[in-house]
This record gives sequence, C-alpha cells and structure tokens, in this order.
Amino acid sequence: MSIYTATAAVPGAAARTGTRTTRVIGVLALVTTAFVVVSAFFLTPADSVQGDSVRIMYAHVPTAWVAYLAFITTAVASGFSLARRHRTLGFDRVAGASGEVGVLFMAMTLLTGSLWGRLTWGTFWQWDPRLTTTLFLFITYVGYLAVRRIDTDPRQRARRSAVIALLAVLEIPLVHFSVVLWRSLHQEASVLSPDGDVRLDDLMLFTLFAGVAAFTLIFAWLVIHRQRLTALADIRQTVGLDAAIALRRSETSGVVK
Amino acid sequence: MDLSPREVPDAPRAQRRWLPIAFAVFAGVAGLAIIGVFLTSSIDYFCNVDEVGVREGCNDDERVRVQGSVDEGSLQLQAGTTSFVMSFNGASLPVVYDGEPGGVFQECIPVVAHGRVVNGTLMATRIEVKHSNEYEAENADRIEESESAACS
Repeated sequence: MSIYTATAAVPGAAARTGTRTTRVIGVLALVTTAFVVVSAFFLTPADSVQGDSVRIMYAHVPTAWVAYLAFITTAVASGFSLARRHRTLGFDRVAGASGEVGVLFMAMTLLTGSLWGRLTWGTFWQWDPRLTTTLFLFITYVGYLAVRRIDTDPRQRARRSAVIALLAVLEIPLVHFSVVLWRSLHQEASVLSPDGDVRLDDLMLFTLFAGVAAFTLIFAWLVIHRQRLTALADIRQTVGLDAAIALRRSETSGVVK
Repeated sequence: MDLSPREVPDAPRAQRRWLPIAFAVFAGVAGLAIIGVFLTSSIDYFCNVDEVGVREGCNDDERVRVQGSVDEGSLQLQAGTTSFVMSFNGASLPVVYDGEPGGVFQECIPVVAHGRVVNGTLMATRIEVKHSNEYEAENADRIEESESAACS
C-alpha cells in the first residue's frame, strides 16, 4: 500500500513515517554510533603529533563523506525526477530530503573542522582552497534549499531544483581534489589519497570506517523519514485544497439556489 | 476573418531539451579549466621557502605566506618573541614572530608564516601549523623516527 492510499484509508496512520525497515536502520545507527563514541574516546590512541585532538577526525571525516553522499544522492534523484517528471514527485522529495541532510552534515563538517583547525593549525579559519571550496559547496546547497522553499507549483519546483542539483554536484570533485590541485593549509587525504596509501593506524582506520557506517545509517534514517514527511505535507496540502474547493462550490450552489 | 484556432508549430523537442544541458556542461568545463589551469598560482595558499623572490606572486617586497619546516635546534622563545629558521628544498629563511604560535607548533614540523621579508628575515604576523596527513599512535620511538625524518 502506498503512502497515499494509506493516508486516505486510515487518517490516523498518516502521522507515522516509520516502518520495520526504518526501525532496524535506527537501531543499527544507534549501536554503531555508540561503538564509535566509545572507540573514539577510549580505545583509539592519541596521535603522535596532534595528541587527543585527533579524535575530532572520527566525526569530521565521516560527516564530510556522508555530506558528499547526500549531495550525490540529491543529484541522482534529481536526474530521475527530470527524466520522469510527468509521473511522480517521489524522486524530487528524495532529492530535497537528501539535500537537507547533506547541508546539516556539511555544517557539522565545517564546525568540527574549525575546532580541529584551532587545535592543530592554531586558527579557526583561513581562506585556503579546501576550506573555501567547502564553504562554497555548503552555501550552494543552502541556496538549493532556498529555491525549494519558493512557493510555486510542485512540478516547477522539482524541475528548477533538479537543474541546480545537477550543476551543484560538480563542485564535489573540486572540493575533494582542491588539496591536490592547489597548495592548501589543509592536509591531503589520508585514506583516499592519490597514491592509494592509507596513512592511519589500524584501530584509527577501523573507527573511522565505523564512523562512516554510523553516519551513513543516520543519513538513510533521516532521509527516509524526511521524504515521507514531505509526502504527507503534500497530501495534506492537496486534500486541504480539494476540501476548500468543494466548500466554495457548495457555498456558490447555495447562493444560486 | 478567420478566427479558428491555429496550430503553433512545436520547436524540435530534442533541441530544446539538450541545448541548456550542453550549455551548462560547457560552462562547467570552461569554469573548471579556468580555475584549474589559469588561476593556480593565485589560489595557492603559500609559497615555499625556495620560491620567495623567485616565483610569481612570491615577491619578497610584498606580504607573503611562506611554507617550510622548522629547523631542529633553531627555535627560540625570548620575551614573548618567537624566532626560528624555516627550510624547504635546501633554502632557509629566518622568521621572527611577536608572540607564541598556537596549534601543535614545534620543531621539525611544516608551518606557514604570514608576513613581510625585511633584510632577509620574515617578520611574521601569523604562524600556522601545516600538519601532515599521517596519523600514528603516540609512541616515543615513532616520535623520534618522525622527527629524524622531518629534520634530516
């Protein structure tokens, strides 16, 4: 049963956006996140140069990667939305939900990176290529969300925002390779480095990947719930409009009589 | 007068659909080419020590950001002033900074110093640590290894 028929048939069920799948994802996200917290603070060693400040990495890097994943998801869903715009707005809702979560994670990346920078570089912020392109990416997607908030026909909204999403995703390679293309205060990648070497101790690397898994699960949970919530809001708007038209028609017919 | 509806000829659908996409792709590629090829020296965050006064944008009579490793044994902290020698690719540059650098500043670590070169000395107004992309467990032996590698 689709969310539309469920809403129409059982009004009380309309408030629910969770299913067995989302509950499983939620539990897995909680367990993985708990492991990452314990491992990051108590199991992994301090770094030989940075000391305990390296523990910020277990939040900073995963949030950045998952923000990339979110923006790529937005672009893919936008592509499907453009290709099938006459059939459904479902892809558009997934694109919007993923964009919102991506902006949230990108903000966390900037925040944790700023704190980490203060502890290691000695400054919260500098206009170096990596930091600047990352901020540019963040602002672009804030703009994308702003376009989605323009009060217009949902299909027109979907079309406009899809075009922006397909262009904005091209910034991701620029951000990722900014430390290779230009000289940057930000260090080069430790895991996805150009030469393929991984420059982390084993437990550090394992905890980092656990962090990526945890944040990916949180991302999936949030996007599923958010796009269902958007669908419900669209239904409420449609039902409300239909009811208003019906009421107006009944009033008009009453006057005529 | 003929008021019957007229048929408006449709523009070719394929052309309408692909033209903006082709334009966007061209603009994207052109933009990346401009940024990646022509603006490289402008976007680079720093000059290396051996490029001061040599490379375009690294003039020694202007404010510069210079990157190099802090020489072992050169670091001195006196009366709130930090002085050290930074080196890169065989070239060295003395640095004087009015204050104590933050972050994980220490000898044998790459730093970026902002300032002007006056009589062969960089009078720095800001020091930033440029740490590497290697993460290793805190271990006395490894610290010695990394220090010797960085300063050799």
